[in-house]
Amino acid sequence: MKKYLCLILALIPLLSLSGCAGLSIFSNYRQLENIELVRAVSLDLSDGGVNAAIYGTAGEESPARMYENPGPSVGVALGELILTPLGREAILSHTESVLIGQDLAKTGLRECLDYVERFSETRLDTDILIVRDGSARDLLAGLSGDETSSADVLSGLGKNISRLGEGYFFTCREIASSLAENGCALIQCVRGVKEEKLFDARGELDLESAGFAVARDGVVTDFLSDEETLGAMLLLGKYRSGNLDLPLGDQTVTVSMDLVGTDIAPRFDRDGALTALDITFDFRANVINLSGPVEITDSSVRRTCEEELTKIMTGAATAAVEKSRALGTDFLDLEGAVERRAPIKFRDMGADWQDVFLTLPVRIKGTSVLARTYDIADPPELSGKEDKSPWEKLTELLKDS
Amino acid sequence: MGKTDRITERQLSVLIFVSLLSPMIRVLPTAAVLFAGRAAWLSPVAALAAGALFLAYTRWTRKNAPEDMGLADMALAGMGPVVGRIFNILCALWLTFYGGFLARAAAERLLATVYPNGNTPVFVVITLAVAVLAGSGLTKTLSRTAEVLMPILVGVIAVVLLSAIPEVTSENLLPVTYRDTREILYGALPIFNVITACVYFLFLTGHTRRPVSQRPNRFPWLVLLALTAFGVTFFTLGTLGENLAASMENAFFMVIRNIKVFGVVERVEAVVVAIWIVTDFIFLAAVLMIVSEIWRTVTGIKKRSFFVFPTAALSGTAAFLIAGNAFEFQKWSDLIVPAINLFFAVILIPGAMTLGKLRRRY
Amino acid sequence: MIRKKQPAPPDMSSDGAVTVAAVEAVFDGCYDFESRDLRIGGDQAQTARLCFIDGLVSGSDVAEQVIKPLTDPRRFSGNISAADVIAMLLGGSVYVYTAKSRDKLGELTGDLLNGFCALIFDKERTAVTFEVKSQQRRSVEAPKEEKVIKGAKDAFVETMKINTTLVRRKVRNAHLKIKEFNLGMRADTAATLIYIDGFTNEGIVAEAARRLSGIKTEGVLTSAVIEENIVDNYRSPFPQVISTERSDKFCMNLLEGRVGILVDGLPLGFLVPGTFSQFMKVPEDHSGHFIVASALTLLRYLAVFLTLLAPAFYVAVAMYHQEMIPTRLMQSMIEARSSVPFPTAVEVILMLLAFELLQEAGIRLPSPIGETVSIIGALIVGQSAVEASVVSPVVVVVIALAGIAGYTMPNQDMGSALRLCRFLMVLAAIALGMFGVATASAILVYHLAGLESYGVPYMSPFAGSEGRHLSRALFRRSMTVKRDREPELKTGDGGEAKL
Repeated sequence: MKKYLCLILALIPLLSLSGCAGLSIFSNYRQLENIELVRAVSLDLSDGGVNAAIYGTAGEESPARMYENPGPSVGVALGELILTPLGREAILSHTESVLIGQDLAKTGLRECLDYVERFSETRLDTDILIVRDGSARDLLAGLSGDETSSADVLSGLGKNISRLGEGYFFTCREIASSLAENGCALIQCVRGVKEEKLFDARGELDLESAGFAVARDGVVTDFLSDEETLGAMLLLGKYRSGNLDLPLGDQTVTVSMDLVGTDIAPRFDRDGALTALDITFDFRANVINLSGPVEITDSSVRRTCEEELTKIMTGAATAAVEKSRALGTDFLDLEGAVERRAPIKFRDMGADWQDVFLTLPVRIKGTSVLARTYDIADPPELSGKEDKSPWEKLTELLKDS
Repeated sequence: MGKTDRITERQLSVLIFVSLLSPMIRVLPTAAVLFAGRAAWLSPVAALAAGALFLAYTRWTRKNAPEDMGLADMALAGMGPVVGRIFNILCALWLTFYGGFLARAAAERLLATVYPNGNTPVFVVITLAVAVLAGSGLTKTLSRTAEVLMPILVGVIAVVLLSAIPEVTSENLLPVTYRDTREILYGALPIFNVITACVYFLFLTGHTRRPVSQRPNRFPWLVLLALTAFGVTFFTLGTLGENLAASMENAFFMVIRNIKVFGVVERVEAVVVAIWIVTDFIFLAAVLMIVSEIWRTVTGIKKRSFFVFPTAALSGTAAFLIAGNAFEFQKWSDLIVPAINLFFAVILIPGAMTLGKLRRRY
Repeated sequence: MIRKKQPAPPDMSSDGAVTVAAVEAVFDGCYDFESRDLRIGGDQAQTARLCFIDGLVSGSDVAEQVIKPLTDPRRFSGNISAADVIAMLLGGSVYVYTAKSRDKLGELTGDLLNGFCALIFDKERTAVTFEVKSQQRRSVEAPKEEKVIKGAKDAFVETMKINTTLVRRKVRNAHLKIKEFNLGMRADTAATLIYIDGFTNEGIVAEAARRLSGIKTEGVLTSAVIEENIVDNYRSPFPQVISTERSDKFCMNLLEGRVGILVDGLPLGFLVPGTFSQFMKVPEDHSGHFIVASALTLLRYLAVFLTLLAPAFYVAVAMYHQEMIPTRLMQSMIEARSSVPFPTAVEVILMLLAFELLQEAGIRLPSPIGETVSIIGALIVGQSAVEASVVSPVVVVVIALAGIAGYTMPNQDMGSALRLCRFLMVLAAIALGMFGVATASAILVYHLAGLESYGVPYMSPFAGSEGRHLSRALFRRSMTVKRDREPELKTGDGGEAKL
């Protein structure tokens, strides 16, 4: 019997090769050379539906191409694009970013997210971005030049704004998870700007961060300013590094954020009611640039800088909390923070978080420390003073401590 | 019972472990999350405790049974030839159906994850054909196959889960308090249900050799299975969050869709899904073997392999008839099959064993 | 007409009587068969017939050690009877160290064919045979196939006696038993079964002896005759008998509890039971540092996966699972593939076939030409194929990687079996993608798990050995550590010993 079984086993793959009787899994087969590798997708609102555009490439040497197609839905528009006009098969498995036009985002994000989640080719860690002041398609087209690919520009911006603390590229998984958990989510916005070209082979447009958009129940309802975006990043723990200019009289001290510690502590009264929310930040930054003569080793100067830093950061956090309350949307997930900090008291609280949140006093405090100045402590040519003797420096140091 | 076709208790444990990995991945983490929410990652611990008690009880009931006595023989001895036969036939019929369900579940998983344009019959037929090949062989060959494959499967899942660490966020997993105990216990139910399927393997105990020094009530395979369940639930829940994980049919495979391994491969779901089919082969082959063993006992026909092909044909028919589409199949997968499994594995089989024990038949 | 009475034809059966006529009838038409009458002690009345096969015996030894003492009148004087002569010959009156009395024709012809000369006493129907083997044989040389830097340099030769001597010198143990068997119905070949009595599992010894004596063949001239007749599953392409040209490896396995087989005419030693992990070991493992040896053993296991799965994995990924390829690599692969006219499946099969052809050509040709062919194949054909866009560079890399990994197999039979399976894996990948690779792998593992060698699971210690000795297969422990024996071999010392 085993002989026959082995024969059957050997024949089954051949059967699937033949494609007869509709039994084939060969329909999953794609020839590499016929593949159009899609790295970025744009979705815009069009008359009666969605205009989808894909940015594909057929190899290292081949020029990147853009194909677009309108359709009544995201699925139809993109589905028709899979067989591109050149007869190549577009695959979305390597899609890094999905750009969604502002207008489409305002009418609904769910369909876009659902497509990315459901389609077997796309990945959940695809970046979802909302394009402000223009269409996503135009941005995608404008970013690519002879030697630059829009996908690379987008990916570069993602890394840069994260490093500079100007924004954060939320992935489809993060957005979908946040919408499922909180009913709201933040999404990074980008904007195309026309600037003088650094080199000819570059695209027509440059890309910049445009803050966060707030999505509620799958629809973008509002946008955050730069300050609110910074505050939101601080409270969501997405702010890991960034540069800040601190005004100091006529001069400016530029610091690079090194460490941000956030503590969200709910305060309950004896009856178990939530009375306040204390948010405390600990900032640590390093001086990276002085615009003019600033005696940065002077402790009082540093203290002034530290206070300024605290003011800017806590101000941003306050602005974000206020915006969140104004929109009636807990996009900062303060509910989750409270629940994690005091899970039992939170559950016993009884009241609806939405009601509590709108009137809850939120006290935001912070402390900042300038940690180092990277070797050049206080050069005389900048401070304008004569160099101090080692004895004077030691006395000053002891006095400070 | 052939004296040459003998396996050790440890080999049987490995066979059970590898077999149960397949339903474990099907059930987890979605079913546990539906019951236990955010605390579902702790449910495997509760399931481990319940599973250990269950296994200790089943081991106690067959403690004095002769070495070459499988569950089918025990049923005949414990309940008499008529009731014992009815019990055996019922178990054989259920397991024949269960085999079909397993084949279909494997096919559905392949379609949903890696081969969206494929067709169910191809996968069902191939899975059954491989299972017939393995099922018509010796028990020791199947056990050894499981032994060889176990480190590969455990290694793959370990690498995958470790690669998923950067994606895990504590916000998705915490807080969990003592008040979640009830939910955790509820979440343990589907995992426990999977574990109880191990009693079907008692039909093969006629092929096992008792160890020289038996250490009672130690189930390393169960600990490893619970650890796997914990890993799968923890990482999937930690990555997707409670609601998103609960809304997905193959949440674990959605998570591994994002995993990059050392920048060499971008997505590993094709490899993991393909490797996981091996657990289906093993379980299905074991089921065919078990059913054949039952029919061998009931009919008295000595050649076990005689029953394998007809059983596979019936299982195949069941696989095609069980549901017309994936939605109906999901209903079977989520509700009907677990419920029947619970009846057979927790009530009927332990009940029959207890009866035999009380009547001092073994 | 008076019919002349014809003499009765001599009985030529193996049990037939020893007569000159019978022996000469047996060797009728053999130009190398020599026979002459010899007067014992120079006495005309007492003659015997001296027979031998020229070439198999040493002529000078026959003259010096047999003829000279036999014809010496001082030694065999007077009217000595034939019975007394036979007794004196067997008692040491000639200088030959082995003398046997033969009264059956079969025994006598056997002796003649094994380098003995025979003195036939026709009337007594008895012969006395003396061992005077020719010394024209290949001397012991360094191993050619299994070379080691730090290790013994004495490889087996075609002469079994030399081989048993090599074994005896290494295992100086009175319990080392060497049992002789005669194999082959037409070409009578001597074979020996070697084991350590009281230590090697008796069951394995008995089974090996049973299989060896049960070999039904015309003659044992090739190793396959032995291997295919003594393995459990001759249909499996995977080797189940360890064959080695190294006497030290042979002895090491005897000391681990295996049974050895030596066959006259084959410069190889065979060892049973053979398990998968044994085929992953090389003699260097025992001569190099244990950490290095362990790392190299792990590398060989990795090579098994590579040689078996690399082309299939590539086919599955390139045809069905492109999402697994990183973006940059994907772009360059698309670029490279776009100029190749053949589909991926054909391209890979073509390259695999070309690789096998080159390998076969390299082996069959004399070594200088063979090496040239390999260089031409690897460099020129490969490079040209890529430049002519017949194949893409990635395919060349993948096939070469699989091929090189295959060459790391210590046992060429294992390498060949894996090469064969590699083709099947590729076909499964072409048909079903990664699912096909997994299915084919599962069937392969099932096949290997089902194999047994003399009651020992082929995949032990990975399967069937309670898992306690897994590290033994993957790592070599230091020689200072007391090491476990392979429990599956069930040696007489209870499994614990120090080498």
